[in-house]
Amino acid sequence: MADSILVPQVGQDLTEAKVVALHVKLGDIVKKGDVVAEVESEKASFEVEAFAAGTVIQLPYGVGDTATVLQPLVILGNPGETVGKAETVGTSGTAPQALQPESKPTADAPPLSQTGDGFRSSPLARRVAAVNGIDIKRLNGSGPKGAIVLRDVKSVLQGGMRSLASPGQHADASSINTRSLRTGTGDPIVFIHGFGAELAAWRPLVDSIPVDNLMVGLDLPAHGASPAPGQAGFEQMVASVAVALIAAGRTRLHLVGHSLGAAVAAVLATQQGLDVRSLTLMSPAGLGPKINGDFLSGFLDAKSEPALKAWMLSLVHEPASLPGAMVRATLNAREGTELAAGQSRLAKSLFSGSTQLFSIRDALKQVGVPCRIIVGREDAIIPSDQTENLPGHVAIHKLARIGHLPFLEAAPLVGRLVAETVRAG
Amino acid sequence: MYREALREAIDEEMERNKLVFIIGEGIAERGGSYKVTEGLLAKYGSLRVRDTPIAEAGMIGVGVGAAIAGARPIVEILYIDFAMLGMDMIVNQAAKFRLMTGGDGRVPFVMRTQGGAGGGVAAQHSQSLEALFYHIPGLKVVMPSVPADAKGLLKYALRQDDPVMFLEHKHLYMSKGPVPDGEHIVEFGKGDIKRSGKDVTLIAWSNMIPRSLEAAEALAKEGIDVEVVDPRTLVPLDKELILTSVAKTNRVVIVQEAVRRGGVASDIASIIQEEAFYDLDAPIEIVAGLNIPIPFNLELEKASVPQKDDVIAAVKRCLHPEQFTARAAN
Repeated sequence: MADSILVPQVGQDLTEAKVVALHVKLGDIVKKGDVVAEVESEKASFEVEAFAAGTVIQLPYGVGDTATVLQPLVILGNPGETVGKAETVGTSGTAPQALQPESKPTADAPPLSQTGDGFRSSPLARRVAAVNGIDIKRLNGSGPKGAIVLRDVKSVLQGGMRSLASPGQHADASSINTRSLRTGTGDPIVFIHGFGAELAAWRPLVDSIPVDNLMVGLDLPAHGASPAPGQAGFEQMVASVAVALIAAGRTRLHLVGHSLGAAVAAVLATQQGLDVRSLTLMSPAGLGPKINGDFLSGFLDAKSEPALKAWMLSLVHEPASLPGAMVRATLNAREGTELAAGQSRLAKSLFSGSTQLFSIRDALKQVGVPCRIIVGREDAIIPSDQTENLPGHVAIHKLARIGHLPFLEAAPLVGRLVAETVRAG
Repeated sequence: MYREALREAIDEEMERNKLVFIIGEGIAERGGSYKVTEGLLAKYGSLRVRDTPIAEAGMIGVGVGAAIAGARPIVEILYIDFAMLGMDMIVNQAAKFRLMTGGDGRVPFVMRTQGGAGGGVAAQHSQSLEALFYHIPGLKVVMPSVPADAKGLLKYALRQDDPVMFLEHKHLYMSKGPVPDGEHIVEFGKGDIKRSGKDVTLIAWSNMIPRSLEAAEALAKEGIDVEVVDPRTLVPLDKELILTSVAKTNRVVIVQEAVRRGGVASDIASIIQEEAFYDLDAPIEIVAGLNIPIPFNLELEKASVPQKDDVIAAVKRCLHPEQFTARAAN
């Protein structure tokens, strides 16, 4: 992108300066600090330094010309780059401005590159970009006068999503598997499971929630029936869930999440384009750095039912409350699929040993709807002591003699708390 | 036909309710300048179908007074331009009475009149003045575009209790379309999708509906799928229908025959930008009449109000047309 070195302000009331020397010619490469020219006013002469490196692509004034202050004196760019026609000042040796000493030089000086201020985009394009975490200023516009319109955002989104997908799989909105958990009316309650689980994990809880809303579960990427993305990461996970919800028209909803799913839910609640009415977060990840790294690696590596069960027992406080079927289902879901590999990749991007690499504390500060956090005091996966210093608007319930799965070990109470949050939202 | 649909509505409501009567210039003996009231004098007699002198202020005053007293008058004004003589009765009396009596007094007054350009009847017989009434709280503004709506809306007007500006269009009287027999009611505030489409929402009313539909058909040949939304009543306005359509297409063209300045189109555009800003992928286009009195010369008259090509051009502008050249090339 072209940058200009301007004719310096040579005196308080002076609008012109004479170019007495040019130390560069077209095609020269300059570095920051090089003296590129000399100009003089009636009172003094000035050396003009390059403030950045680049190739000289245009010299609007020749030696001996009278130049207008704050107009481009030397224009730098990439080799071969040219300056837009409309922005070109006179190249013929005599600068047209020099003939009009009365004109105010700064008022109408056309800066050469206006991409910052001249940025144009449609409101819809901005909304969709924001929801998907795309920096709209980096896109190329195909609309009127280069405005960025919806199709520009969509093309990036589709391209980006494809690059996230495993070979042969389309990771568009449909790559997030969703299923109704209970029929109902009103704003849907969407459930997001934790790391290594799937939407079926919610089945024991839904009947304990005394509201009539439609209840929908979804599988996070690389979980359940949602394919593993090629590139894994917390932001991508949030983005694909947001895209899926918007594509399904579920923009007004309540969110209930567990562990990693709770972290996803918390960030979704701050996304433009989604109207999240309430948040219930169980044993949320992202509140502090600590997580049980041994559990994560052991859980991911376990290949047999006894091994997996041994690790999964640390999910609960009371061993009897872990259903054997849950262990078998987890194992079955991994067999013959790429889920385990996808989950390992995901784990690497989310955690480093016993450290969580992402935080939802900023998101929680922004949440403006009823928000409730439920944790078990005996949680052996994410220690419950990381729930200190939460924003005042977040309610916190610490349940004694409960582990990482409060919705399993304290279903009636958790169901009641979900209902209260939903009704308040 | 549109005029027959109107006659059917008046006839059926006069039959149904003895309090309905109609007055106007040449509406009894001559059957009305646009033949809307033909045959009604013979059927209902001169007490309920009555010619008046050329005195719009008096006719409108009589209508408003009769409505306050409990009757259901229809006052036919030959040209909407002439209704200006009755503005005090409409704006300061009819529109205010309900509020100022705490809701005890109602004014079920229906003024039927027609506006619009066409036919070289010049500046004093060609105006589209719906914005004047739209601006006054307390008035309902109804602008049917097809025969079925004309019947259903007029029947509804004669059953509700507030003053109604029932604005017909001189070009539409001879237009044809299916009209349901008997009890066919169109409630106020319920718009209609006259053509469904997915690329652009085109909002129009009255005579701009047939014109917009023609434009839509021409655009369809180029692969552009236009949704034509007819609010049918401007007050009350069916915002839901409009916003739902905008959410679908993300682009809006509003077409009005009336002059651009201070028009209903501008107000609808302001509602859309306020309530659906983040659904918009292009600036809202307004196609409207020029800010001039309608010229007498037929060519100039045509140039002063929106034509099919103007609508087509506006639709293409808001579509960033290269998208469609690309589609056509595929």
